[in-house]
Amino acid sequence: MMPQSSGMRWLCRVYGALLYAYPREFRLEYGAAMQQVFRDRCRDAQRTEGLFGLLRFALHTAADWVSTTVRESPVPRAAVEHVRAVWSAGRRQAPRSFVSEWVVTILLYLFAATTLVQAYVVPTGSMEGTVRVGDHMLVDRMTYAKAGPWARHVLPYRDLQRGDIVCFLYPEDVRQTYVKRVIGLPGDHIRLVNKQVIRNGRRLIEPYTQHVDPSLDAFRDNFPDGPEYQASLRGLDMLRHHVVNGEVVVPPDMFFAMGDNRDNSSDSRFWGFVPRSYVVGKPVVIYWSFDAPTSDLEGWSIDHVLDVTLHFFTKTRWDRMLLVPRAQKAQEVAVTP
Amino acid sequence: MSKRQSPQDLLPLTPPVFHILLALAEGERHGYGIMQDVARQTGDQLQLGPGTLYGCLKRMLAARLVEESGERPDPALDDERRRYYRMTDLGRQAARAEAQRLAAAVNAARSRRLFSKPGVAGGKA
Repeated sequence: MMPQSSGMRWLCRVYGALLYAYPREFRLEYGAAMQQVFRDRCRDAQRTEGLFGLLRFALHTAADWVSTTVRESPVPRAAVEHVRAVWSAGRRQAPRSFVSEWVVTILLYLFAATTLVQAYVVPTGSMEGTVRVGDHMLVDRMTYAKAGPWARHVLPYRDLQRGDIVCFLYPEDVRQTYVKRVIGLPGDHIRLVNKQVIRNGRRLIEPYTQHVDPSLDAFRDNFPDGPEYQASLRGLDMLRHHVVNGEVVVPPDMFFAMGDNRDNSSDSRFWGFVPRSYVVGKPVVIYWSFDAPTSDLEGWSIDHVLDVTLHFFTKTRWDRMLLVPRAQKAQEVAVTP
Repeated sequence: MSKRQSPQDLLPLTPPVFHILLALAEGERHGYGIMQDVARQTGDQLQLGPGTLYGCLKRMLAARLVEESGERPDPALDDERRRYYRMTDLGRQAARAEAQRLAAAVNAARSRRLFSKPGVAGGKA
């Protein structure tokens, strides 16, 4: 055996790995011989032309590798044919291009719709003031997703923060998705005094809320005091087990959510905490807002289709187009004794 | 399994296939031997990469232009065993037919004054 430089040994090892790009049968049949030839040529190139010759041969082999893996393998070859068919689709009508376009569309749709973003329409007014009935929005499903050990450094994952707007599965019926604002995180003490939130002993000044009912409701506005009959079973469970000194205390892996339209919002006050794992995502943009009643937006109806077709331009709220619902931090002030 | 295949059916041969056959015309060789010989024949114009070389050999084996002639070390290189290839009769006929085809093409080019002896081409009007 002739001596081999470490650079050459390294090249040979890399080439050995690159052989895996060839189809299995081809690699089993010729892989060893190809490695042998590669090494022989490396040795001669280095002897006659030095490092430069070695590098030139390595580049030449890389180009050879690209073209021959495509030629030997049935799959990339089919892909190349496919691309050609799609390219030439404008000139000659091939049925294949029609099928392939739909395959690509469906794949993209499945991928994008289930993992990255999802479109929702808001049918109810519990976030009115921030998110309106008839807002169609895209929800980013990634930001609040559970971060993997590797992906956490690459993708913009973030944990929930107070003031964030989130979409989550309604704990009473996971077929529905709700959008609310995060008010309390695990460990937070929450109560309401005359419609104002007291969190951990500090009063919140919340610029994003709106109040539509001047009267006071004992339970809704002085939560968790007042008669419990408005709460659901889940809500009652919260009131039984998580109230300390007249305040609810958010347990681990849960959060307390309320709508910005405080007087008309079905939220954690009535049905309890939301499990962290029920979070779907974060609204990123309102791509279309159409003035329609709740009943039209909850299901599919011919009336709604007619309404949209006839009044698309007049009932679309153009000023809400491409609006970004923003997280907002409430200002905290000490409670005056 | 292509039975009773005529060499004419295989024409034109691609340059790598033709030059591999030329390399084997002198006798059996292993892969690296073919690679070196092709480079020498063409003045380094045609350098077969390992993928091209064995891709061609695979197709040439299937078309019965070449056959394997066993494994043994090449004393000039080292003591590793290498797979040797030799040309079949069909391979020889195909190479001959391709050479004739190319010769006819060269003659045609010459008769149209595209091809002259070196030194004559640009010299005289």
